Amino acid sequence: MTEPTESLLPYVRAALDLQGYAFPEERIVEIALQFARIESIARTILPPAINAQAGPDLGPAPVFCPGAVISP
Amino acid sequence: MNGTALDIARQIRGGERTAVSVLAETRARIEAADGNLNSFTATTFERAGREAAAIDARRERGDSLPPLAGVPYAVKNLFDIAGVTTLAGARVNADNPAAAIDAQLVARMHAAGAVLVGALNMDEHAYGFTCENTHYGATHNPHDPARVSGGSSGGSAAAVGAGLVPLSLGSDTSGSIRVPASFCGVFGLKPTYGRLSRTGCFPFVDSLDHVGPLAGTVGDLAVTYDALQGRDARDHACAQRNVEPVGSAPMLPAGTRVGILGGWFQDWAGPAARRVVQTAAAALGATHWCEFKSAASARAAAFVITGAEGGALHRDKLKARYADFEPASRDRLVAGSLIPAGWLIQAQRVRKLAYAEALQLFDRFDLLLAPAAPDYAPLIGSETFTINGQTVPTRATLGVLTQPISCIGLPVCAAPVWPEPDGVNLPIGVQLIAAPWREDLCLAAAAVLERAGVAHART
Repeated sequence: MTEPTESLLPYVRAALDLQGYAFPEERIVEIALQFARIESIARTILPPAINAQAGPDLGPAPVFCPGAVISP
Repeated sequence: MNGTALDIARQIRGGERTAVSVLAETRARIEAADGNLNSFTATTFERAGREAAAIDARRERGDSLPPLAGVPYAVKNLFDIAGVTTLAGARVNADNPAAAIDAQLVARMHAAGAVLVGALNMDEHAYGFTCENTHYGATHNPHDPARVSGGSSGGSAAAVGAGLVPLSLGSDTSGSIRVPASFCGVFGLKPTYGRLSRTGCFPFVDSLDHVGPLAGTVGDLAVTYDALQGRDARDHACAQRNVEPVGSAPMLPAGTRVGILGGWFQDWAGPAARRVVQTAAAALGATHWCEFKSAASARAAAFVITGAEGGALHRDKLKARYADFEPASRDRLVAGSLIPAGWLIQAQRVRKLAYAEALQLFDRFDLLLAPAAPDYAPLIGSETFTINGQTVPTRATLGVLTQPISCIGLPVCAAPVWPEPDGVNLPIGVQLIAAPWREDLCLAAAAVLERAGVAHART
C-alpha cells in the first residue's frame, strides 16, 4: 500500500460504513487504492491549486445546463 | 461490406436491390464474422425482417422512401430496443424485463427507414475505454484481433470497422465514441451536449452523457446525424433547438480557421498520434498552434464528476450484488461513490471556468484539431500503457485526450487517419472540435480529410 492510501484509509473505511457497504479488509484496501487515485487527480483542482490559477473567486458551481449556458 | 449507407438507400430507392436482400447479406456477414469479432451481444433479425419488408412494400406501392431506407444498423446495448433487455454491458441488468419501447433515437432511425439488426457490446455501464467485458467477452479490433476495439462503444465501432453494418449508434461520456472510432478506423460524431435525445438510454453520468452515430464515411455519418436530431422534452438535457440539417456532403466554408491544440494534447500524444495530427493539419491548411490551458483541469473535473455520479447511480446495486459487477471497474465505482460533495462542487466550478476559456479560443479559430487517442489500440489484457515516459492504467486513461472536450460539451467528429510510415497497419483518430452547436463544421472538416484521402475507413 502506498503512503497516500494509508492516510486515506480511515476516511474510506468510515465512508463505506456510513453508506452501508460491507466489505472484507482486503477489498477495503483495494477500494482505498482506487480512491487514492481519484484523490490524486481531484487534488489538482481543489483549492488552493485551482484558485492560484483562476483567482480567489470561481463563482458558484452551476449544474451544467447547455440550454442556458451555451447560447446559439 | 455491401456498400455505404447512402449507396444502399439509393439502390433500394432505385429498385436495384431490396431491403430484404440487403438484410440477408448483412445477416450472413454477421453470422460469418462476428464469432471472432464479438461485437454483437444480441441480434434482432426477426424485427429487422419486418422493417425491411415494410420498406420494400412502401417502394412497391410507389411511396417516397426516407433517407436511410433499408440501411442495416445496430446500437450499443445501452439503447432500449422494444422486446430486448437493455444490458448496458452488465450482468446485473441481464434479468431485467425487456424494454417496452424503443429508445428515442432508435425510433428516429426507424422513422428514417433504417433496419435494426442488433445490440452491440460495450464496457460495463460504459465505464472503460477498452471494451474488455468480463461477462460478455472482449470485442476485438477489426484490424488486429489481438488488440482492443476501444470503448466503451467498442462493439459499435468494431461492427462498422469490420464492415458488418455501415452505421451504428454509441454513447460518449468521456470519449466512448471517439476512442473506439479512433482504434477501429471509423468516423464518429459526439454532438454538442444536449443536441441528441438520450431518452431510453441506460444512463452513466447524466451531466456528461452524450449519444451519437458512428459510420464508415462522412456522408453516412452526416445523414444519420440529421435523422437523429430533434427536440425531446423527456430528456431534461435535450436542447430546445430545431433540426439543423447538415446534408450528405458538408462543405467547409472558405477561410475556416483551424487551430492545432498543443500543450496537454501533445504532452499525452505518442509519436504516431502526433503524426496523424500533422497529416490532418496539412490537409486542412492549419498552421497555427493554440493551447486550451484548462485541459488538465477539465479532465480532472470530468474524472471527479464521472466517479461521483457513476458511483452514486450504482451504489445500491453495488451493495447488493458487488460480485456480479465487472471486476475491472467495480472498485473504481465504489470509490467514486465515496467522493466528498465539496470535490464534486469544485469540479462543476472548474468546468464552468474551462468552458469559458474554450469559448475564447473560438474567437480566434473556427475549429480545433487534436489527436483522439494517445497511441494505437493497445493489446487486449494490457493493464497499463506508457506514453511519453508516463505509465498509466489503460482502462481509465485512454480517454485522456477526449475527456477535456466532453467535459465542456463541445461537438467533435473523430476521423480515422492511418499513420503507416512506422509499418503498423492501424488507425489513430483525430478530433475535429467546434464551438457549441457547430457539428456542421466538424463534419465538413472530416469530409475535407476524407476527400484528401487522409481519413477513411478500411472495411
